[in-house]
Amino acid sequence: MKHVTISKLIGFGLVILLTASLVNAKGDDFGSVVKMIEQFYNVKHEGIPFLAKAGMKVVGTAAKIKGGTAKRLAEVGSIKLAVFEDQEFDGDLIKFRNSLNEALKQSWIPLVQTLSATDEEQSYIFVREQGNKFNVLVINIAQHEGTVVQATLSSKNLALLMKDPEGAGKNITNEATIIDQE
Amino acid sequence: MRSVFQRISIIPVLVVLLVIVSATAGHAQEPRIQMSHLDYLAAKATETVDVNIDERLVQIAIKVFSDKDPDEAQIKKLVAGLKGIYVKSFEFDADNQFSAADVDSIRNQLREPAWSRLVNVRSKRDSNVEVYVSLSGTSVNGLVVITSEARELTVVNIVGPVDLEKLAHLEGSLGIPDLGIEITKPKTKNEDQ
Repeated sequence: MKHVTISKLIGFGLVILLTASLVNAKGDDFGSVVKMIEQFYNVKHEGIPFLAKAGMKVVGTAAKIKGGTAKRLAEVGSIKLAVFEDQEFDGDLIKFRNSLNEALKQSWIPLVQTLSATDEEQSYIFVREQGNKFNVLVINIAQHEGTVVQATLSSKNLALLMKDPEGAGKNITNEATIIDQE
Repeated sequence: MRSVFQRISIIPVLVVLLVIVSATAGHAQEPRIQMSHLDYLAAKATETVDVNIDERLVQIAIKVFSDKDPDEAQIKKLVAGLKGIYVKSFEFDADNQFSAADVDSIRNQLREPAWSRLVNVRSKRDSNVEVYVSLSGTSVNGLVVITSEARELTVVNIVGPVDLEKLAHLEGSLGIPDLGIEITKPKTKNEDQ
């Protein structure tokens, strides 16, 4: 009887540990990607406290986004952002892309990836389901700056992203980095 | 007394059957072609676009596209039943950045009898366009479009029931580039003369 109880407890503990590590693995991809970029390119991201956002240099403007007026896509409070400014992104684009895809293939689905070897620019959009919502991970890297944005989208806004991945991807990045006027 | 059939061991028969089934399955494989060997071109391209809408994303698209929005309803209808949409597109700032061997590496995967090339297709632009369809019985279960210009190479592979008209409607959505494909009418005898 006692033996059964101990076995049950050990089993229960293992299940909890396994679940916790799975949740952690799924939830911490944003941090892993930021770390991966830092290690691959030997760069450092800037921590952006919420209030410091207001003083941040805006990368592009929402007005430039296709369709004119910016549309809020991400769910309020769902955005995770890492910004790299005045850094040297000097490295093999293809190698980086392969490493990134390999690192995220378990829990994210790649939607669109664009590279420009001549301009040394890269952008990646990954998607995953999160209950009845969706997480999107948008990574933009240029010669001297980069952004990593993770946000939660409603199914309606994911439809917008899927219809026009490039435009909506830019929109999400701008939304994350733009001064919040509201 | 055991019959002839009983004397034949069942194992070799099963092995033979398995080989036949595997060969048939191999022949009727999903018409997904390999394009990753073109990735090296990205190192010299001014722009590389890689679209990977696999079956999971197709299912998500069906789930999130609204029936009320006419655009979304149309895309939803078009992607229903598809198993994947894959695009690789390269733009260069100089001529001859990709070789005939690069295009051949795609063409070589599109051999008969599984694949047939459509002849009544041309480009609205000045590109070379080749369209291949894969047939399962009488229905199309895959499509490949290769468009090439001096400084551009695009390969589109759609897995599932698709036709050119469907593809034309999908151009510009889901990251699929505008391919500029035009379906031509077959020439009549009088037109030829």
